[in-house]
Amino acid sequence: MKRILSLLVCLLLFGFYAAFGQDIQIKGTVTASEDGSPLPGVYILIKGTNNGVATDVNGKYQMTVPSNVTLVFSSVGYKSQEVTLAGQSVLDVVMEAETVNLDEVVVTALGIKREKREVTYQTQKVSDDEILKTAPTRAATALTGKVAGLQINSQDNGVNPSTQITLRGFRSISGTNDATVVIDGSIASIGALDDLNPNDIADINILKGANAAALYGSKASNGALIVTTKKGATNQKFTVGITSAYTVEKVAYMPDFQSEYGTGWEGAYDAIENTNWGPRFDGTMRQIGPTFADGSYQEVPYAPVKNNLLDFFESGDTWTNTAYVSGGDQTSTFYISAGQQSSDGIVPEDAYKRYTFRANASKRLGKLELAFNATYFSDHTDVVGNTIGDQDRPLYWFLLNTSANIPLSRYKNWRTDLYATPDTYYNGYYENPYWGVGTNRNIDDTRRLTGNIAVSYDILSWMKLTGRAAMNNSWGNGKNWRAAQEFDPVLQPSHSAVSSFVEDSEFQYKDYNFDAILAIDRDITDMVSLKANLGATNQTRQTRSSQIRANNLSIPDFYDVSNGTGTPEVDVTESEYINYGFFGDFTVGYGNYLFLNFSGRNDWTSTLEKGNNSYFYPAFGLSFVITDAFKGLQNNILSFAKITASNSTVFNDLDPYAINERYSQQTGFPYGDLNGFALSTTTVDANIKKEKINTTELGIDLGFLNNRITFDASYYMTSTTDLITTITPSIASGAASFLTNIGELQNNGFEATLGGRVLEIAGFTWDLSFNYTTTTTKVVEITKDINEVTLVTGGGGLYGVYAIVDEVYPQIKASAYERDPQGRLIVDPSSGAPIETAALKKLGRTIPKHILGTNTTLAYKGISVSATLDYRTGHVYYEQGSDQMEFTGRSLESVSANRQDFVIPNSVIETSPGVYVPNTDIPVSGGRQSYWTDVYNNVKENYVKDASAVKIRELAIDYTLPTKLLSKTPITKVKVGFIARNLMTWLPKENHFADPEFANSYTNSNAIGIGGYLQSPPTRSFGFSLNLEF
Amino acid sequence: MKKLFKYIFLLPAVMLIASCSESYLDINTDPNNPTSVTPDLALPVAQNLTATYLLINNRVNTLGNLLMYNWSQSDGYAWYPDEFKYLVTSSFYATCFNTAYQNPLKQYQTLDRPDDPTYDYYTAISMIMKAFHFQILVDIYGDIPYSEALLRSLNPSPVYDDALTVYEDLIVKLSAAIDLIDNASDVAIAPADDDIIFGGDMTSWKQFANTIKMRILVRQSDMSGREAYIQDEIDAILAEGSGFITTDVGVNPGYVKETNKQNPFWDSYGEDAAGTEVMNGKATCASDYVLEFLDNTNDPRIDLIYEEPATGHLGVPQGLLDYDTPVKDAYTSDKVSNIGPGILKGPDQDAIIFTLAESNFNLAEAALKGYLSDDPQDLYESGITASFHYLTDGAAGYEAQAETYYSQAIINVGWTITPDEGKLEAIITQKWIALNGIDAIQSWFDYNRTGFPSDLPISLLAVGVHDDRPVRLMYPASELASNADNVPDQPEPFTEKIFWAQ
Repeated sequence: MKRILSLLVCLLLFGFYAAFGQDIQIKGTVTASEDGSPLPGVYILIKGTNNGVATDVNGKYQMTVPSNVTLVFSSVGYKSQEVTLAGQSVLDVVMEAETVNLDEVVVTALGIKREKREVTYQTQKVSDDEILKTAPTRAATALTGKVAGLQINSQDNGVNPSTQITLRGFRSISGTNDATVVIDGSIASIGALDDLNPNDIADINILKGANAAALYGSKASNGALIVTTKKGATNQKFTVGITSAYTVEKVAYMPDFQSEYGTGWEGAYDAIENTNWGPRFDGTMRQIGPTFADGSYQEVPYAPVKNNLLDFFESGDTWTNTAYVSGGDQTSTFYISAGQQSSDGIVPEDAYKRYTFRANASKRLGKLELAFNATYFSDHTDVVGNTIGDQDRPLYWFLLNTSANIPLSRYKNWRTDLYATPDTYYNGYYENPYWGVGTNRNIDDTRRLTGNIAVSYDILSWMKLTGRAAMNNSWGNGKNWRAAQEFDPVLQPSHSAVSSFVEDSEFQYKDYNFDAILAIDRDITDMVSLKANLGATNQTRQTRSSQIRANNLSIPDFYDVSNGTGTPEVDVTESEYINYGFFGDFTVGYGNYLFLNFSGRNDWTSTLEKGNNSYFYPAFGLSFVITDAFKGLQNNILSFAKITASNSTVFNDLDPYAINERYSQQTGFPYGDLNGFALSTTTVDANIKKEKINTTELGIDLGFLNNRITFDASYYMTSTTDLITTITPSIASGAASFLTNIGELQNNGFEATLGGRVLEIAGFTWDLSFNYTTTTTKVVEITKDINEVTLVTGGGGLYGVYAIVDEVYPQIKASAYERDPQGRLIVDPSSGAPIETAALKKLGRTIPKHILGTNTTLAYKGISVSATLDYRTGHVYYEQGSDQMEFTGRSLESVSANRQDFVIPNSVIETSPGVYVPNTDIPVSGGRQSYWTDVYNNVKENYVKDASAVKIRELAIDYTLPTKLLSKTPITKVKVGFIARNLMTWLPKENHFADPEFANSYTNSNAIGIGGYLQSPPTRSFGFSLNLEF
Repeated sequence: MKKLFKYIFLLPAVMLIASCSESYLDINTDPNNPTSVTPDLALPVAQNLTATYLLINNRVNTLGNLLMYNWSQSDGYAWYPDEFKYLVTSSFYATCFNTAYQNPLKQYQTLDRPDDPTYDYYTAISMIMKAFHFQILVDIYGDIPYSEALLRSLNPSPVYDDALTVYEDLIVKLSAAIDLIDNASDVAIAPADDDIIFGGDMTSWKQFANTIKMRILVRQSDMSGREAYIQDEIDAILAEGSGFITTDVGVNPGYVKETNKQNPFWDSYGEDAAGTEVMNGKATCASDYVLEFLDNTNDPRIDLIYEEPATGHLGVPQGLLDYDTPVKDAYTSDKVSNIGPGILKGPDQDAIIFTLAESNFNLAEAALKGYLSDDPQDLYESGITASFHYLTDGAAGYEAQAETYYSQAIINVGWTITPDEGKLEAIITQKWIALNGIDAIQSWFDYNRTGFPSDLPISLLAVGVHDDRPVRLMYPASELASNADNVPDQPEPFTEKIFWAQ
């Protein structure tokens, strides 16, 4: 500790030998080289600092600077220029156009800006234009398909959806694989990004590897999304703008259902069945539902009702509006916005509202700069609950258990309609889904305050100290309730009464980060430059959640916990985490084409054992701009070439309190004054320690045809050792899970981006880019005697997601058919039924092997058409919905043999060991029903499907009015657009059920690959957007 | 300059100072979960877990009732498809294995602290209850993890021990537990209300240990070459002198009609805390065979073990596919005999883990085979009486009712009418009735050992596929995955009997 202290002091003192310069006023006009027109919005920065101004609409600027500094003029689309001041007070600059600007400034760790040429690892920037193209309600979804190495999974299509963001696949079995999010230099969270109004974002820079973010510590081992918000520029004219969008969301496609058989069981018609095992449809009028006391009953044609489940869903509407003002004078900038979203989902009565408020401001006082930014977010979600009926099922279950001949949408008026009330509804086993919507609600209100305050002081022209305090606090409360329901025992003999409950919950999440950074940027000689950052960081995270559940309420429709009977169930969970670290980051440049980077960080964490809770991790990198080092290589074709190589190590700690085995109060206890505590089923390795992640990355960036076409590619290899993992021990050990350090996981991959302007003729431009990602994680070693880790299992253990030694992770295993060497099904000669393998069979990876994204924009005179398409393939998923549909007899497969006993096509019998003879005459039994529900349905291999998908994620057509037309109005900008999201999806034929991207949210977040039935079907949305500025 | 320096240094310095202080990172104590608890807080949890392990739906007792053709399924429910097909796979009733180790056994293990004399009584109870559970595991699976089991992080992949070796060690452990009770340290803390089985009565614990021993020994009584061993061990039980249980052994922490606080069997098959009949209860009903048997033997317990609908008792053949032929809707839940009021007594009933009836029948079998000098008829009839006692809640006249019943001149009911070579069948058959719905897994073990009741049908869905019900379960898939080097080859579940049945 002492040593680091003295090092820091030395480094600080090192900065003070130089004297301070005198401040001067400088002003000028910046013009474009092609036509001499003034250029607005050109950034003028004092080199080596973040201090600067931008030109106004007339291309003019004015600023106070120390004498003898170098000013950097930069603007998108123009080559940046550096001018060293030599006593002048007026400096006019002519900017030269650049087709594609490879010298862009990228924001890296802790808000440190770097020229891209200096960066020794792969990054990719997505601008606000690209993010906002289709007016998304969440910024993350708008990144899908746009960044190589980035996988965004939209996990459901509810009104308040959640997203999973991973970069370069998975590196951990039990820990998070989510990328970290940094907003304006401070560590935030994916939730904070979701809660940010996308309109407030200036750009998102994606640092893909652990290399990219060693300076964030452990959290950055999965890469980082560096979000920069809109700020306003100095001397910017006061701008007021409004952005609005309206979109309509509709179900894109439903599962393919059979439509040949209806209500019934074992081939016989049954008027109250949820299943479709009745006779073949014949169009006759038949009774459905119970016979009423007066002998009457409901009759419908015994024929399929087209789209009977689709019609349950409504079209959802989403309005988003944002108003913003921004501007700046010589020393200050500001940006303020207010945003609002209101959505109705496709599920009846689902509704969502949110409000966002953002304020960014900065003020320069001589050498001191103060900056402030904050978002306040509030939302209200009101959706159908997911424990409907006496079996606590999700809504979709009730739909899938509605027979093909039932005109479901007729039963909307469940309170009054003669055939729709709980007692009179046709289905004897599952209630009317409309009733489910009306009697089960989950209502949540959340708030978030995210922001930071930064103070910078220019100690010297090349040395700056920044201190920053940030918060990312989220809190909220929720109320889930269910109404009680009794049933008439004569009309609904099979329903059990539904009990009522109300569950009141609150949560708080507090995350505070403090950073102090000393930044040095100095040219040591003409050829050698040094950039260094020395810093200290501290993070404190506190969580608290509480729930009270009261059951069997006394007063109907009164949802307060005081209304419960019996002892309320109460749960409170709190945690606290502290981490602090010191870091140094040094980049030595030579000739502005060779850069060497070294960084190191030491962390101390509260969650590991004392004395063993500190760790140091280093990173090294190199960037070499070949075309600058060897100018001769530059020619008409090759304009730019850079190679990078880097290696970094990151260590990771435990979750709070995980180091100890713990007891908890057993469910049911206390009984009166008898209390009871149970030892956790998780056991902890007494020697549990930090895990290590080491990444090596090689990259190349090329520019062709004066950088009109660019190509970036990288290869990386990550090895995680001593992985902190919850493995699955033998349950006979007395534990169901075992937290320990396991052997090794290896993750490697390749990604490439090729893009550029394909065409530019007479004002017409066509930009096209492709990005490709392949990533694979393999389990090298777990531990002695244990060769797999179970992430999640389903179907009574008949399928699940696993990490298995020598296999790609995550991997699906399922019960499977025994097959002969030719792959034919082996059947039991006595029953004709297929034989199942003794153990579950490995059936494939659940992360795409290949992801290809394509983005294209065509523009002509203010009209622009752009689209984003992505293709994911090489992986499988478990189609949980069709598994459930097998029982209900709505699957296509269940009618494939006309509901009769049949000989399984292409099956064999084993006449003697290893001898297989085609089976031509031994049929299965129970082909009418039980073969499908009991035999076929037990072979879960049947539901593991190719998860490939091609999606048109975004399509936008917009038109910006020429400024000439607006010259006599106060309006400066009018942009209107047609927008569409998830316009089209193509799935392989065998996947005729669901969107493979959806995951069931109750599962372990790393157990991706199981999805399908907890959510509503996939949707597409389209609408209009409008942007006005004054 | 100096001032400036101070200013710059301020932020990192403050953080450094804060960081260096000893206690800054010392916050890793879970505010919601203790890392250790006293035994009186752990014991009732363990005992309650024994009850749930046996008695909640789709666990041990359910398996026994379905395999022994006691229970069937009402029309409109697809509740037991795998059970009716005898679809014994590595996932079939894996809870019988997994739940035993990760719930009650894990919790009893925390109480087993032989080096701490203050724990003597708790250690003894822990040893007795572990023996109780390990025997059931052997009886279902054969070889099981035992000597290296329950060590958690110290051994995540325990070896499997030979079933007979485990059996013999259980007797040793039970004897040691009785010794420990007899010679407990003066500082030993005596359990009281936290013992939700015997309320801290250590004599009852010794009797229970002897009763479990008898179950273990009688189970081996059809093996050749074990006679001397069994006789020695039974002599040791008699010499110890505490005797056997005198009442049904039940768990009751204070079950009450509230969510999560009801008797686990009632909660699974009776009503929920709101008083609504649960689905399992509606879906589950008597088989045709069991009702016929009770009816044919004029057994008044028929109305206690199974609920009589207004339309009269009706059972359903196991594995029926077409419930509507010849009569449509004949087998709906309101028309069939669901689980009866003698078993589903109420939300606060004791959760029975060992019946007095079984203990008496075990003694009767030992006596019949000459290991005990007592009269097997007395023990047999007291077994029947104990069953009547439990089912009627000891209502007035139950003894006379029992006597009327077992005095009938019906083979397998009356002792004397039953020929000598059939007396074992009478004991096992009567045990099957007494444990019907309550602890039917024991009847499955008896069936595998003796083949009684001898004309017990098999499920319709197994007809033509299997000749008889399975004799054991397969090891769960999780063991194949997580303990691959130790788990034995999967046994054939219909032919490879447990050692005591071979």
